[in-house]
Amino acid sequence: MEFLNNILTMLTPTPGEPLMMSSGLFWVLMLVFLPALAVLQSQRRRMTLFVTAFSLLCAIKGSGVLALLMLLTAAMDWVTAQAIATCNDDRRRRVMLWASIACSVGLLVYFKYANFALATWHDIVGGNFEPLDIILPVGISFYTFRTVSYVVDVYHGKMRPVDSLLDYAFYLTFFPCMVAGPIVRAADFMPQLYNYKAASPRAVWDGLWQFMLGVVKKCVFADYIAQYVNIVYGSPSGYSGFELLVAVLGFSVQIYMDFAGYSDMAIGMGRVMGFDLGENFNLPYRSLNVTEFWRRWHISLSQWLRDYIYIPLGGNRKGKVRQHLNLLTTMLVGGIWHGANWNFVVWGAGHGIALCVHKVLMPRLKAIDNTRAVTIASGVVTFVVVSLLWVFFATPDVGTAWGIISGMVTRFDAAYIPVLVSRRPLLCVLLLLAAVSHYMPTRWLQRAREWFVAAPWWARLLVFIVMVQVVLQVASNDVQPFLYAGF
Amino acid sequence: MLQYRVKPLFSLVGLLLAAFVIFFALSLCRDGVPLWDGATLKTATFVRDLFGGDTSAPADTTATTTVDVGKAEQEQPEAAAAAPAVRQPMDTAPKTILFIGDSMLDGLQPRMAAYANHNGHKLYGVRWYSSTTEVWGSSTRLKQFIGKYKPDYVIICLGANELFVRDIKAKRQRYVDEMLRQIGTLPYIWIGPPNWREDTGINDMLAASCRKGSFYLSKNDKFERGKDGAHPTRASAAAWCDRVCRWIVNDSYYPIRLDTPDKKFGTSNGTEVLQPNQK
Repeated sequence: MEFLNNILTMLTPTPGEPLMMSSGLFWVLMLVFLPALAVLQSQRRRMTLFVTAFSLLCAIKGSGVLALLMLLTAAMDWVTAQAIATCNDDRRRRVMLWASIACSVGLLVYFKYANFALATWHDIVGGNFEPLDIILPVGISFYTFRTVSYVVDVYHGKMRPVDSLLDYAFYLTFFPCMVAGPIVRAADFMPQLYNYKAASPRAVWDGLWQFMLGVVKKCVFADYIAQYVNIVYGSPSGYSGFELLVAVLGFSVQIYMDFAGYSDMAIGMGRVMGFDLGENFNLPYRSLNVTEFWRRWHISLSQWLRDYIYIPLGGNRKGKVRQHLNLLTTMLVGGIWHGANWNFVVWGAGHGIALCVHKVLMPRLKAIDNTRAVTIASGVVTFVVVSLLWVFFATPDVGTAWGIISGMVTRFDAAYIPVLVSRRPLLCVLLLLAAVSHYMPTRWLQRAREWFVAAPWWARLLVFIVMVQVVLQVASNDVQPFLYAGF
Repeated sequence: MLQYRVKPLFSLVGLLLAAFVIFFALSLCRDGVPLWDGATLKTATFVRDLFGGDTSAPADTTATTTVDVGKAEQEQPEAAAAAPAVRQPMDTAPKTILFIGDSMLDGLQPRMAAYANHNGHKLYGVRWYSSTTEVWGSSTRLKQFIGKYKPDYVIICLGANELFVRDIKAKRQRYVDEMLRQIGTLPYIWIGPPNWREDTGINDMLAASCRKGSFYLSKNDKFERGKDGAHPTRASAAAWCDRVCRWIVNDSYYPIRLDTPDKKFGTSNGTEVLQPNQK
């Protein structure tokens, strides 16, 4: 009885605290959800209803009543898409399209940017600003992107409108993608739902493997390294240049492991349930230029920005100058989408400029012989540019970011290297492992995956237990602050 | 056909269930499973939370001590939620104040001493550098200092070293509870840490643990950072202390006399300094 009580307490809606797939609560819920799914998945309608209900439960857990907004958006866009598909008047179709986009984006702007806009306005006029008490519904950024892409695709005739509101609600609320993507397009997802097939044994174990990889990335690497980064970025002026450098490198690892880890969990969960959500990260720090980086980093987001902002703006079809302007605009939108803060604007603009510079230099770069040294140099330059821009992503204001970047150079002291290695061995080991796992041949990981999928049940259980135990061991280790190194 | 479809998912559920049972069994060892050379296999707290929560006090703090702490030793602190919300009347009697905490006392204590000197209080400070709630709560130091100085008012400033600890409630709640247990029925004030960035829950945990009107939330205050980047400047710390004292007088559960002193800094009646790794 107490067990049930505790479960219900944990499921109490706590706006701003979504149900994370790496949590123990999620594990327990899966013990109920998966058998029910196994029973219901032979009948698609029942399965759709059940999974939608479960997804809504997850949404309510993280957003409270604001989760109903998701249903409202779903209903509104479903109706609009139907109307667009059946309407023959181009002008009316366009009005409906823009009305739908305005509603979806308007909600996102209100929840995500109202305080930022008001604060900026009060800064300009010198007013005294009290932030509005606005709670961001969990996943609003991601479902806004999904819903916009759906209506736009229907408008352009790239897909037929979804016949059933329940099917559309299933797509929009699909819980593995709710919190952090990937941004799966309706055109890719709906055919899988219409022709739903339960996952094969191979897909189930493959999905579990991908899920476990995600948990390790998120809970072992990202969460542990984040502690060090938080401490250093919390008071950067108190740290040497070398410690700042490690924090900057650490954040590059942390943000990749965090985003890619959550994507892996979502993709793995989707695979277990019988859905292919594609790949979202493809070893991005192997990129040899910024353009390639954006083809490997958060692929579903990059493609969304390309297809729904860059190309509609004219892409590369209207001359070089316009192409560069379009790139800059697209990256600025991408930056602002990540958060309401001037630093995200700087981060987006920085990537936009880097992309433009690469486009301009491309003819000269192509003329250089592709030797091993050139490849390594290209990789290093790309990594440095991306890492420096991450500093703006991770800090609250431009001054702090600039303080960190300049501090790396002006306060660099090699004497801190042995100190850091001896005082923070686990951090060093994790950074090293992250680098090795990123740059090692992909076939090694593929072989491990194949072994796991074909392994006997007890071996898989053993691997799962080891994975959970590693998470427990690392998660219980706190990085001790270096605040008082003087003692 | 149906059997073929459901089999893989049930097989997965079986794996998850078997692992859950194993971690449940391990979680019965609350302090982990000892391995070799002091290494410990950590156990899952969430499993304990599911089956009733972790309410145990840290094992090493239940040891008896010969220090006489008088009445305070005998009684348990009131739980925050059950504590009376009614504010006590201003206690104008001179107090013996014990001020403990981490290196934030470097900035706070001189100004607090000025208040103490001006208002006829005695002030004893204990600065334990790099200390945390875990460090204090897993030792009987606080109890010993209470026994030594026999304060009738305790001020704590602790938490700056725990701003970014993950799952802080699971890891530190019991140490905070233990510290409050050692304080007993003495009136106390807990000054929250000065945040440079959003914390991972230390302020929420302290606010929920302390008696109503006994926790001063510093995170919304504005501070000027010192050169080390971690502490407020001396002037900013003095201003912080002024705000805390005004709050004690006007809003705290147990107000004492703290008229604004003429001098900027004062002299404490005693200060003890403990180094980071001192046991």
